Amino acid sequence: MKLLDIIEVLRTKAAKRIAYGALILLIVVDFIIPRHEVHFFGDNIRGFWSLFGFIACVLIIIISKWIGHLGLMQDESYYDE
Amino acid sequence: MMSEIFNIQFLHPSAFYLLGGLFIPLFKGKIKQGYMLFVSLMAFFAVVVMPHGTYGVYEFLSWKLTFGDVDKLSKVFAYIFTIMGVIGIIYSIHVKNDGEHFAVFYYVGGSLGVTFAGDFLTLFLFWEVMAFSSVFLVWFRKSPSSVDSGFRYLLWHVAGGLILLAGIILQYSISGDLSIQYLPFHGWWPTDLQSLASFLIVIGFIVNAAVPPFGAWLPDAYPAATVTGAVFMSAFTTKTAVYALIRICAGSEMLIIMGVIMAIYGVVYAVLENDARRLLAYHIISQVGYMVAGVGLGTQMAINGVVAHAFCHILYKSLLFMGTGSVLYMAGTAKLTELGGLYKTMPRTMIYTIIGGLSISAFPFFSGFVSKSITVAAFGEAHLTWAFMALMLASAGTFLHTGLKVPYFIWFGKDRGLKAKEPPWNMELAMIIGSLFCVGLGVFYKSLYALLPYPVHFEPYTAYHIWETLQVLFFTQLGFFLLLKKLWCEDTISLDTDWFLRKGADAFLRFTKPLANIEYNFIGEIYEYIIQKPVMGVAKIFKMVDTVIVDGSLNGLGKLTLACSRKMQNVQSGQIQHYAMVMVAGFIVLIVIIMVLP
Repeated sequence: MKLLDIIEVLRTKAAKRIAYGALILLIVVDFIIPRHEVHFFGDNIRGFWSLFGFIACVLIIIISKWIGHLGLMQDESYYDE
Repeated sequence: MMSEIFNIQFLHPSAFYLLGGLFIPLFKGKIKQGYMLFVSLMAFFAVVVMPHGTYGVYEFLSWKLTFGDVDKLSKVFAYIFTIMGVIGIIYSIHVKNDGEHFAVFYYVGGSLGVTFAGDFLTLFLFWEVMAFSSVFLVWFRKSPSSVDSGFRYLLWHVAGGLILLAGIILQYSISGDLSIQYLPFHGWWPTDLQSLASFLIVIGFIVNAAVPPFGAWLPDAYPAATVTGAVFMSAFTTKTAVYALIRICAGSEMLIIMGVIMAIYGVVYAVLENDARRLLAYHIISQVGYMVAGVGLGTQMAINGVVAHAFCHILYKSLLFMGTGSVLYMAGTAKLTELGGLYKTMPRTMIYTIIGGLSISAFPFFSGFVSKSITVAAFGEAHLTWAFMALMLASAGTFLHTGLKVPYFIWFGKDRGLKAKEPPWNMELAMIIGSLFCVGLGVFYKSLYALLPYPVHFEPYTAYHIWETLQVLFFTQLGFFLLLKKLWCEDTISLDTDWFLRKGADAFLRFTKPLANIEYNFIGEIYEYIIQKPVMGVAKIFKMVDTVIVDGSLNGLGKLTLACSRKMQNVQSGQIQHYAMVMVAGFIVLIVIIMVLP
């Protein structure tokens, strides 16, 4: 039952706050982290990958759902008719 | 000749599966389980002790068939195929249906045969063994929809196989050489006979690699397969195709564009998908996209990345299929709209699935991190920024679905009050082994890098690389929870290019119905007058001769023939499943004949 307790702890409000704190920490530390040789423009921008991750996620969800509702998504009995 | 394949230096791992599979029905209960595990372990050790070189060369008619071409590339694929064989067999060891085990053995054996094939004809033979054995893993689900899916699966693969065969024949007629060699295809369409040959061969391969628009068989068949069958299917077909692509057409630029499209395509469909196993199937397309793109880039670093990624992918994707398969097995459904709240009753399965999800998402210290990043970094270093960005975008999408959507909607989400328990011990053991591999490869990545075909000059654990990955993943997670309402699953299916097959078949039937009527009424009558009546007339004469001349001593022979034809009647069942089984059996006979012939 110990495993269940851990999962329950991760579902509390406090855990959520820690997660938000971690997000801020991710961007802050990105300002001091050493860079490897620059391959493209994004390597020079601090916090680039945070923004990229967030925008990528939002774009994927919105655009895919939009395409889906254009006609790709059909009722489960579509092929039976 | 037989001694060559059974010498100590080189034992073909396929032989263990192909011959071992024949004896499965002889054993019962625990002995059978032990036997199957033993065979799969022996095949693995055969790969471990195998030295590099060329073995098992046979002259057949005027062709030289090579069954054992061993180098670093074929060996690393053989390692992962045999490891997966062991894990998969542990996962499916409780299955009562001998036919399913048999199909699995031939499927795995076929993939190993392709891996070590030194000539196109051998490759093609094993290629077809894979198609005809794996389709049974779909059919053995025994639901009407899986029978249909199986037929479509077979249709795609027979078509792809024929295109491949056409390419092979053309290649042979041009060069007179069947040995597998580097035949890159440049541009988008063939310009001369040689490029047409490699074009056809590439098309044959990319059907199996599930490159859209030829990839619809994958999300169609895998979710329709049995719980245990899907675990095997997720591992072998697409990865043997990737292996074949590396061998024959590394550096073909069109593969870069195809691969990047695949990576994004799988992600888009995964948003729409409601069936957890179909969602994972679309993510196979997405992940194989990284590999196909890497093959297209073709640099040593990219090929290393592709091989490492195929290795890790087989382990984490099968782990994901085992996790969702366990849910299907225990809860009776894999639909996200019918699942939720299972964390209370299946927490351990959840942990294994999340480990698979973190691995596929390339989370630091999980296997995907050390493999996917080689390919992606190769694109960065080649300054193909558009491809690099697109693959990073697909990475975010991968975490969004496999790492977040699947676990969230199965184990959390809306509690549906399902009382599903943890799966049987063997399924859990297989998931534990898979999880250990996923974490182990992420930490002890040097041992994986040592197996790769080229020397590796890549260090995954740099501060910036870890930080870049963590940022992408955590902010994807933020997006997921902010847009959770929008992402809520809908009880729908998504149309793919198999629409043309399904709806096209209807149209074809409508078109051929009048033709069938003509055939029945008109040609049928002609047939009766021109063929049937004269034949019957001749037969009557013979019958008269027969009854007059034949004496009683021949009656015994007649009875024998009757008995034989009664047996033959059973063979002619009219069911394509049985014919396919006969074809596979015919293939075994063929292989034996080739080996035994002087």
